[in-house]
Amino acid sequence: MSTHSVVGKSVYRRDATQKVTGQILHVGNIEMPGMLHVAVLRSPYPHARITRIEKSRAEALEGVAAVLTGADIAAMPGVDPYFGPAFCDQPILAIDRVLHVGDLVVAVAAEELRQAEDALQLVDVDYEPLPTVFDVREAAQPGAPLVHEELRPAGAFADLAHVKAGQKSNVCYHFKLRKGNVQNAFEEADRIFEDTFSSPPAQHMPMEPHVTLVYMDENEKINVWTATQTPSFVRTQLASTFGISMNRIRVRVPYLGGGYGSKLYAKLEPLVTLLALTTRRPVRYSLTREEEFQTITKHGVVVKIKTAVKDGLISARHCEVYFDTGAYAEIGPRIVHKSGYTSAGPYRIPNVWIDAYCVYTNKPPAGAFRGFGVPQVIWAYDSQMDTIARALGVDSVEFRMRHALDEGEPFATGTQVRSFGLKESIRQAAQAIEWSKTRPPKSGTRLRGKGIAAGVKAVLTPSISGAIIIMNADGSVNVLSSTVEMGQGSETMMAQIVAEELGISFDQVRIVQPDTDITPYDTITAGSRSTYHMGNAVRMAAGKIKTELFSAVAAKLEVNTEDLIARDGRISVRGTEEKGMTIGQAFLAKFGSLGTTITGEAICQPTAAPMDPETGQSEKCTEYWFPSASAAEVEVDTETGQVSIVKFLSVGDVGTAINPKHCEQQLLGSAITHLSLTFFEEMIFEEGQLLNGSLLDYQIASMKDLPETFEPIVVEEPHESGPFGAKGVGETGTLTVSAAIANAVEDAIGVRIRDLPITPEKILRGLTEKGQVAPKGK
Amino acid sequence: MTIKAFELLRPKSLVEASELLLQHGEEARPIAGGTTLVILMKQRAVHFPYLVDLQGIAGLDHISEENGYIRIGAMATQRSVECSSTIRRFLPVLADAVGKIGNVRVRETASIGGNLAHADYRLDPPPALLILGADLVLSGPNGSRTVAIKDFYRGMYETALEAADILAEVKIPHMPEGSRATYLKYSSLSANDWPCLGVAALLALKGNRCKELRLALGGLSSTPLLVQGLAFTQDQPLDDDLLEKIVSVVDQQISPTPDFRGSEWYKRKMARVFVRRAIREVEQHLSA
Repeated sequence: MSTHSVVGKSVYRRDATQKVTGQILHVGNIEMPGMLHVAVLRSPYPHARITRIEKSRAEALEGVAAVLTGADIAAMPGVDPYFGPAFCDQPILAIDRVLHVGDLVVAVAAEELRQAEDALQLVDVDYEPLPTVFDVREAAQPGAPLVHEELRPAGAFADLAHVKAGQKSNVCYHFKLRKGNVQNAFEEADRIFEDTFSSPPAQHMPMEPHVTLVYMDENEKINVWTATQTPSFVRTQLASTFGISMNRIRVRVPYLGGGYGSKLYAKLEPLVTLLALTTRRPVRYSLTREEEFQTITKHGVVVKIKTAVKDGLISARHCEVYFDTGAYAEIGPRIVHKSGYTSAGPYRIPNVWIDAYCVYTNKPPAGAFRGFGVPQVIWAYDSQMDTIARALGVDSVEFRMRHALDEGEPFATGTQVRSFGLKESIRQAAQAIEWSKTRPPKSGTRLRGKGIAAGVKAVLTPSISGAIIIMNADGSVNVLSSTVEMGQGSETMMAQIVAEELGISFDQVRIVQPDTDITPYDTITAGSRSTYHMGNAVRMAAGKIKTELFSAVAAKLEVNTEDLIARDGRISVRGTEEKGMTIGQAFLAKFGSLGTTITGEAICQPTAAPMDPETGQSEKCTEYWFPSASAAEVEVDTETGQVSIVKFLSVGDVGTAINPKHCEQQLLGSAITHLSLTFFEEMIFEEGQLLNGSLLDYQIASMKDLPETFEPIVVEEPHESGPFGAKGVGETGTLTVSAAIANAVEDAIGVRIRDLPITPEKILRGLTEKGQVAPKGK
Repeated sequence: MTIKAFELLRPKSLVEASELLLQHGEEARPIAGGTTLVILMKQRAVHFPYLVDLQGIAGLDHISEENGYIRIGAMATQRSVECSSTIRRFLPVLADAVGKIGNVRVRETASIGGNLAHADYRLDPPPALLILGADLVLSGPNGSRTVAIKDFYRGMYETALEAADILAEVKIPHMPEGSRATYLKYSSLSANDWPCLGVAALLALKGNRCKELRLALGGLSSTPLLVQGLAFTQDQPLDDDLLEKIVSVVDQQISPTPDFRGSEWYKRKMARVFVRRAIREVEQHLSA
């Protein structure tokens, strides 16, 4: 660490000043001459057939340039009216049926947004209601009303290749893991624990809503400015939707005002492109906050978890996990796959049986949400770890340590775990919360308790990151990368790695924002993968430039390239640093002139061994793991059921911390997200109608709701092939929050909450049922 | 979303404002700070082709103390009420309750009159004004009249304001000698949320005996409630038995409507807890 000049240092983030002073360009700030604005009429029914649309009055309204229906799109030659990453099941606008309240029905583009919204009120749509299904477990049963008449897999992902088209079921994906003999183990068990845990659908709530601007330029190129986490995927989707070559589509992404998984894959881009093509004008569509709730959500999940214990150790675990993916599959099937295989936990369990289902319902679609389904399964398994330990009379930290996987042991998938700082994370969490300190006797109406939870997520594998670096003769570089800076600090991370590799200063590195005409392919900015994948790509690309510089310098100085080092903007001979030259001199030596550039390009493409679709076994199901632990001390008001958080520790193994301050901020930021989900957030539906679909009623944590003492702990377990040993940290802090809080609540008052969010009313009901404490005088 | 086109009318006097409201009938609505109305119009939940702007009417934002009353112009911002030295001196409970509305950015813009006239069931000031015995001055086309706040609220978003009436002033008598009061806002979800319920209590003691007790609750049903029948507390020692009797009386008079912040069961429980806490808190202030 100490040998590095900028890696491992908490340098200030690149974009901080500009963001704080309001100088950042966002898509929503871009104005084009003649630009049209979009408003969309949405379905009031959770499931219905569209029998008639009358739009002539809207079309006649002043300022209206286009009024588009799904039937119009379906009739357009060369346009695929359906899109979607895992399943090609989502129409750009509803064609004959609407599948959830908020489904898009009619789009209007007009000179002014007000005119577009006025026009919507002049459109008449007749619907014929159809049978509906809302409960995820009911929807999974045979005979339930079908959301889609048949399944339409998109075939884009290797790990979903075995999913067959045409099946008639709401279960659009079923993940299976089979290890050992679960039945035997349950028969021979000393004790069996069976619980059901649930988490509700929720909203990502980035400050910046989804927004897309499209225009055709003078060369008939489709130019897309969009708030997306997947510029490369958006281009591929548009090329496929419109049947045109990829070099006729240019997708650019400025800074995002937050993503959290909501801005993955195509969202508004197909519709806005269609409107731009239809009107031949620039078109921008920006969602309202209310529309955000109808666009993408976090999966509501029900987990049935059954655990066998023999001789004080867990001998078997059976998990049945239902993911409510809403009306469109979105990326749900991949979420079920990637979180499904972790749902028995990072523990040594000889016999494991997992069934995880991705299920359609007549609700808004669910997709990726910081943690990719894993927080929902950890909520179940690490809540249950606590109840088992309590029932066995074993200290719950000790119980976790007894089962936690050690370096090199096989995960439930058979994959050996590497760079696995799980035990260290648990140990540090326990120490920081003073776990072993004797608890004071309980009295009064404000009772305190402590809780710990642990868990792990694995990075999505395989995936690809490409990078190009151009070095200029003054030693400065431009980094061409499609990683989206959405607040996570990726620009700063890349600049640190490149500066370190080339021995130049951090300030000499500039990042070119994603632009598919310029920046190479990247799978996705999500899933805690950019530091590892893009970090490796930019490091390798920088390494290639260094190789060229070294050979020029070695030839000039008549030394071996192996003896050269790059540091402080100079290339010099190791040990005799005065012998060397500046980068500018190296350029002169190589080219004989200045003004030249050296370009390095590299791809990071980790591979995985495909899982057996029947057993979920794989020699290598992931490139790396990120273990997490949380520790909480809470105080419960036993008269109201309200919980205040006295202390909270967010602990994560990040590999090597490229920027320790950023890692700490990620651990805290993601913990805040999940504290909010733990206590407040829930999309409440009644017959498919969202009852709290605005920020007046949907609650998110405010500064006033945060823990009194709130600290991150960075655990560093370097990864052998990570850039300088780094892994990822964007989701780590989300993983174990809810279970740690619920465990602390039970420690305080003896009430176990199994359904998120943990509201004061649920706690008070628990206390009342227990009959132990009731409001005085009752 | 955008607001559908409307015309902003800017009267210079209350009489002129009432005339405009009369002229446009259902198509017009007065607008004060706009923090609620603008949201509803942006959501296109409501639409009024004419908005009668009260900002241009002089003399509606005073805060003063005279002849035994504290008078607050309806257009005084919530922030100015919260921070007013007059209010803090004579009616600290009102400063406190108004200071708990929304957040400071809202309170800088929103008016006290707009808040009261909106008549949402979860407002913070009404319980405090109920225990203070406030009167509201309503100005109409035929002059002004005074309505006690306990008679002002008629239902969810319904008040004693008739067509073309404008809430002009809040008039509050001094607190009874030796009394103190408190307002407890309980948010069962995020700390910035609407209340699950709000409880205001005013108490005067003679020794350790109750001289006067007033209680009001908000957030439970369509209108805020001034608890009746508390005379039995007079001259009684403020012990646990009396508190139990008080919460039973409260329990009989409330009929909580469930919302996102609590079921009927929970709101009843919380009414008991916070009535008790409010009384004990004022008792502590009095004995401090």
